[in-house]
Formats: sequence, structure tokens, C-alpha cells
Amino acid sequence: MNTKRGKLLYTVVVIVFLIFTVGPFVWAFFVSITPEFEMFKNTMNMFPTEPTWTNYVTLFTDSARQSKILFQGMANSLKAVGLTLLIGIPVALMSAYSLSRFQFRGKRVIKNAILITMVIPVFATVIPLYRIFVAYELLDKMFWLSLVYASSFLPMSIWLMSNYFTTIPVEIEEAARVDGCGRIRTFFAIILPVAYPVVISSALIMFLSAWNQFQIPLILASSFQTKPVSIVTSEFMVKDSIQYGITAAAGLIAIVPPAAAALIFRKYLVSGMTRGSTK
Amino acid sequence: MVHMKKRSEGALGIALLLPIITIMVILVYYPIIKTFSYSMQKMKLTAPQDTGFVGWANYRSVLTSDSFWYSFQNTMFLLAVVVVLTTVFGVCVALMLNVDTKLSGVLMAAAVLPWALPPVVNGIIWRFIFHPGYGFMNKLLIVFGVTDKPIEWMSSRFLLLFVVALVVAWRSIPFSAIVCLSGLRAIPQELYEAAKIDGAGRWTVFRYITAPLVRPFVGIGITAASISAVNIFDEIVALSGYSDLGKNLLIESYLTTFSFLDFGKGSALTYIIMLISAVLGFFYLRSLGKEVEY
Repeated sequence: MNTKRGKLLYTVVVIVFLIFTVGPFVWAFFVSITPEFEMFKNTMNMFPTEPTWTNYVTLFTDSARQSKILFQGMANSLKAVGLTLLIGIPVALMSAYSLSRFQFRGKRVIKNAILITMVIPVFATVIPLYRIFVAYELLDKMFWLSLVYASSFLPMSIWLMSNYFTTIPVEIEEAARVDGCGRIRTFFAIILPVAYPVVISSALIMFLSAWNQFQIPLILASSFQTKPVSIVTSEFMVKDSIQYGITAAAGLIAIVPPAAAALIFRKYLVSGMTRGSTK
Repeated sequence: MVHMKKRSEGALGIALLLPIITIMVILVYYPIIKTFSYSMQKMKLTAPQDTGFVGWANYRSVLTSDSFWYSFQNTMFLLAVVVVLTTVFGVCVALMLNVDTKLSGVLMAAAVLPWALPPVVNGIIWRFIFHPGYGFMNKLLIVFGVTDKPIEWMSSRFLLLFVVALVVAWRSIPFSAIVCLSGLRAIPQELYEAAKIDGAGRWTVFRYITAPLVRPFVGIGITAASISAVNIFDEIVALSGYSDLGKNLLIESYLTTFSFLDFGKGSALTYIIMLISAVLGFFYLRSLGKEVEY
């Protein structure tokens, strides 16, 4: 009895779950292929009667204004993500290795001082940062923007990595060092090959967080050459207020990179999320 | 000899930390202190000459303004609804993901998707659903005869806030669910087997094994959801712009600082928000530190 009722319940839950999770994307897709005139007709049709690819064609036409804005935004986001990873991953590895393997005075204090910043909201730091950026003419400089991103994502990565490093037995390292390996070589030869899953999870979480940023670039990167795709898409909403179709299409294009990364590496994402939250 | 080696070891350890210390001091700690000093000053960019130390005046002016309390209420409403929705549905999704079937892989992929979405795009996507005219929700409600004319989702305060909360919960559920799932998976099978041998019923097993062992993980989900609920910004902007109706404390602080250019008052507001976040953050870090004994 239990199995039959259980199966039915499971099926219902799965269907509801899928509708709620995938449904919004499907609806956004329908909006993106609905012609403008049909959208404002007072119709109860759920789906467009005359679907059109115009919005996508516009967005993929090089000369179109919207296409230039969108793809510049995508390029800006990618650049910021790349720089953030280039700064973030090495710094996170160094810090995590130090915190998990070395003994020195003040270690606890430093570790706590880094980790506590995880819960500090962006706005607590962004007002002075804005003034510093204005004073030193750093606004709209990709490198400095990425450095600010890195500063807010690093604590999480350091925490993930140092938790992982402490689970690797010290003995294998010591064996290598008895054989004459230096600290640095031991790290690259012994630790890194074992710890690569946590490096991938951290990189993925950094990638997603940097791609999704909105508040920091809203204040620190507002020029055409630096503003990320998240800002660009929201501007489609405001500036091209009538053109919902093209906003939907732009939004869907903007989520392709993070969605693809999350789906391809979801194993690492899930393990990173759970390790990060449950030690 | 041994002593010297130890000392150089410690030096290497600190050297490896120099980059992160530099980054944290310049980009996080210095600004936080600076924000506090701004909050104690009169600093309006519209009146650049008129500056100076004013003590707690900015805080007083914030705490006595109706606008602050309006935004505060909105923040608290969002907090409550987001936490309830995220927790209830997070646990449901976790229980669903814990069942091992052929679909498991697909379901896990679908669960990860909302989490990877930029919050601002999340808001935009849901705006199409709750659009007063051609939105999906209105069409659905009319087709099923719940209402006969479209509902203006975005022009009533609590309706708008509810939509915002729903949208934010939708994005927070995957994290909550996956954390909860890892809690479920961590329960040793022996405990269930032992209970079975002792003849415990399903409810007893749930009540005395599953629930208490998963509770800490649910706690992590709740605190994480409450931190993101206090820090909602992108979705509100995407759903209703910077309008007064749906503004929370973060929007209020952004507008005060970057629209009215009152850096002093804006900084005071930010510090108040940080205080609220810090209280929630304290519970977060504490819930993370809790060890589970099986």
C-alpha cells in the first residue's frame, strides 16, 4: 500500500517541482518569441499564435544597437570573471595552505578576521570604495573592479579550501619532504593533485558569483566598456521598456554561460556547496 | 636548530598570507572603518563645503524618519516570507532528491539551475510571469476563474513584496535543499536498520532519527536564507525599479547615498543594516560550527 501511494506522491512532487523550476525559463522563452503586437493584445492565449525569431535575429546582428550593447556586456562579464579567478584562486590557495598547515602566532585571529567578512553586506564597504575609486581614477577599470569582487568571494574559497586541506593526511607530505621535496614543490606535487575537486568548486562558485554581480558594478563600473551583462539586461528593462520580447531574449542569452558552467560541473558545485556549509 | 627551522616555517606561513591580508585591509577593513567615520559626519555631495563631525545625528535622523521604518517593515516582511517559503520547500525538495530513481540526475540538474541564475535576471524572468497584462499568472487565474480581471501585482505594497519574496525564495531553495540533502545522506544506515530491528514505525523513525539529525542542516539553510533575504536588492530593482512602494533597507540606503548624495546618512543606514546582518551572521557561523553526533 505504502509503495503505491508513495509512488503517486513522488510523481506529483516531481511534476510540481519541474513546473516551478523550469517553467519560468519556458515562459521567458515564449515571451521572447512573441511578436510585439500580440503581447499587448488582450488575449487569453497562453502561447504566441505567430511565433517570431526577430528578437534573436536582432541580438545576433552585428550592426544592431542592442546586439552591440549585449555582447559588450557579455565580454565585460567574461573579462571580470577571468580576472577575478586569476587573482582569487592563487591567493585562496596560498592562504588556505598557510592556514591549514602552518603554526604561528595570531593565526586564529587572522583566520576569523577573514571568515567573518563573509556576512558583511557589500554596501558596508562600497561607499568609501566609491570615493577611493573616484580619487584615484579607478572607476571603470576592470582590474580594480575584479579585485573588489575577489575580496568579497575570497573568504568563502579560503574556507572551502582550508577545510579540504586539513582532511589530507600530513604524513604523505612529510614523506615527500623527507625525500627532499621543498614546501613549494610538495604543494604542487602532493597537495594540488589531491585537492583539485575543491579548487574546481571554488573556481565555479567564484565564476558564478562574479557573473551574477549587480550591486558592486552598479556603483563602480557604469561605463559601456566595463559594465557587466547583469546591468545591461536590467537596462533593457528600463530603457527599452516597451520591448519585453528583446529583454527576455537578452536575459536568456545572459544566463547561458553560468547555467552551462553550473550544469557541466554540478557535481563539484554540489560538493562545494555542501562542504562549504557543513564542513 | 629545530627551533630555527620552526621559526622560518612560521615566517613562510605568514608570507603566504600577505596577499590576502593586504586585500582584506585595503578593500574591506579600511572601508568599513571609513563608512563608520562617514556616518558620524555631515557629508552631502550636494553641499560639498558644509561638512563636519555631527556625532550620532545621522543615526538619529535615520531612526526618526518614516521612510526608514517603512523600509524596515518591508525588510522584515521579506525576511519572514522568504525564510518560511525557503525552509518548507527546501525540505520538500531535499526529501524528493533523496529518493534514488532514474530521474535523480535530471532533478539535481534542475535544482541547481535557479541557484546559478543572476538575481537580476531572475527578477526579470519573474516579471514576465507577474506582469499585470499579459503575465502568465493572470492568464492562469482568469482561465481557472479565480478572478475575472487581471490583478495589478506590482501596484499594491504587500502583493508586490510577496512576489519579491517568492522570487527570492525560488532562488534560495536549491541551496537550502542541497544542504538538507547532505544532512539526510550523512545519517548512517545502521541507525535505520537498528530501529527496524527494534520494530520502530515510520513516524517514530522520522521523529527520533531523521528530524533531530537533519535539524542542524535545516538551521544552516534558514540562516543562509535570512542573510540573503536581508540583502535583497537586484530582484526588487528588476521587479519594481527603485520605486518607493517596494523598497527595503538596502534600496533606501542606495537611494540616500547615490541618488540624494547624502553620504553621511547613507553610511549610517548601511551600518544599521550591517548590524542586522551581523546578528544573523553570528547565528550562521555558529550553526556552521555545530558538530553533529551520530
